Amino acid sequence: MAPSRTRTVKNKHAAKKISNSKEASRKPIQDGIVKKKRKVGGAPATASSKGRPGLVDSLLKRKKRTYSEKELGIPQLNMITPVGVVKPPGKKKGKEFVDDRESMATIMSIVQAEKNSDIESKVMKARQMEEIREARRVEAETKEDQRQARLNETKDSLRKKRRRNKSGKQGNVDDDGDESMKDIMSTSAKAAKAKKKVSFA
Amino acid sequence: MRPLTKGETHILFTKLANYTGTSLNSLISPLDNAPGSDRFVFRLHKDRVFYVLLSIANLATSVSRDKLLSLGVCLGKFTKSGKFRLHITSLPILAEHARYKVWVKPNGEMPFLYGGNIVKAHVGRTMADCPEHQGVVVFNMNNTPLGFGVTARSTTETKHLDPTGIVCFRQADCGEYLRDEDALFASG
Repeated sequence: MAPSRTRTVKNKHAAKKISNSKEASRKPIQDGIVKKKRKVGGAPATASSKGRPGLVDSLLKRKKRTYSEKELGIPQLNMITPVGVVKPPGKKKGKEFVDDRESMATIMSIVQAEKNSDIESKVMKARQMEEIREARRVEAETKEDQRQARLNETKDSLRKKRRRNKSGKQGNVDDDGDESMKDIMSTSAKAAKAKKKVSFA
Repeated sequence: MRPLTKGETHILFTKLANYTGTSLNSLISPLDNAPGSDRFVFRLHKDRVFYVLLSIANLATSVSRDKLLSLGVCLGKFTKSGKFRLHITSLPILAEHARYKVWVKPNGEMPFLYGGNIVKAHVGRTMADCPEHQGVVVFNMNNTPLGFGVTARSTTETKHLDPTGIVCFRQADCGEYLRDEDALFASG
């Protein structure tokens, strides 16, 4: 960039004198900067002229009054108003205390009604669950009894068979002896079949 | 120190109703029927709720907020999340209006007072038809209140429980007067 040149004032007093003179007051000192003078706009020539277009112009140029939104009373559309932000006029600011007996009693009755219903439902549910549990227990007991009875029956039948066999042995030894042997064989074979084996390769 | 707001009152009463029955109404009833008679009120100081006579609460307004430590009976405190926690200091009021009670045998007193839960072997007596997770006040066999807790099982389920099974979860016990001596009365 080229350095800016500084102006040197050769005669300071001469310059002052010029500023005091009348001519200087008329013409401002120019610093080399020429500002474009704006024309101070008075009424244009057309305003003075009478007629319809002049009136329209004057109406247009008259300063319009601006109304605030409150003054207009326009309903606020498409705006989110959070709950609790807009309060109805005349309502108390801040916290609402509960110190009188009536309002406290009201709250207490509401709370107690809630609690009672809760406890009642809990008790009812517990009773129902207990009934279900009891029914299941009874069912399991009856099943167990039946199983036990069947087991006893088979045991008895086996005992009776053995007794009969013993008594039969004493009567005819040859036939029954063969049968008993067969029985034993068959039972032993069944037992052998019934026995499960687990083998690992 | 200020009265409770509507929400705070609701939270407080809900908590108290866990342990007390319908007699809780007598908490807010005036001492006598004369007009302008003294009555008990709830006052919030810092985060603690006090149950105090109105006349005493009015007198306490002459004490500066930072100098006032306690007045009346401290029921408990509001936590930062807005819940209410009952303190052991509220035991006399809860014991008076208790809905469900559990009595512990002498051999179960010390384990409870040291902060343990109540096991079935230590239960001396209990009330019938007590549901699960219900607030109960714990007494010893001489009817002295020891603390309060929450039932772990309903009364019917407790019958089938083994002796070491927990019947009641401890919430507060009188041992806290010694254990939490520093924190119990120092607020804020």
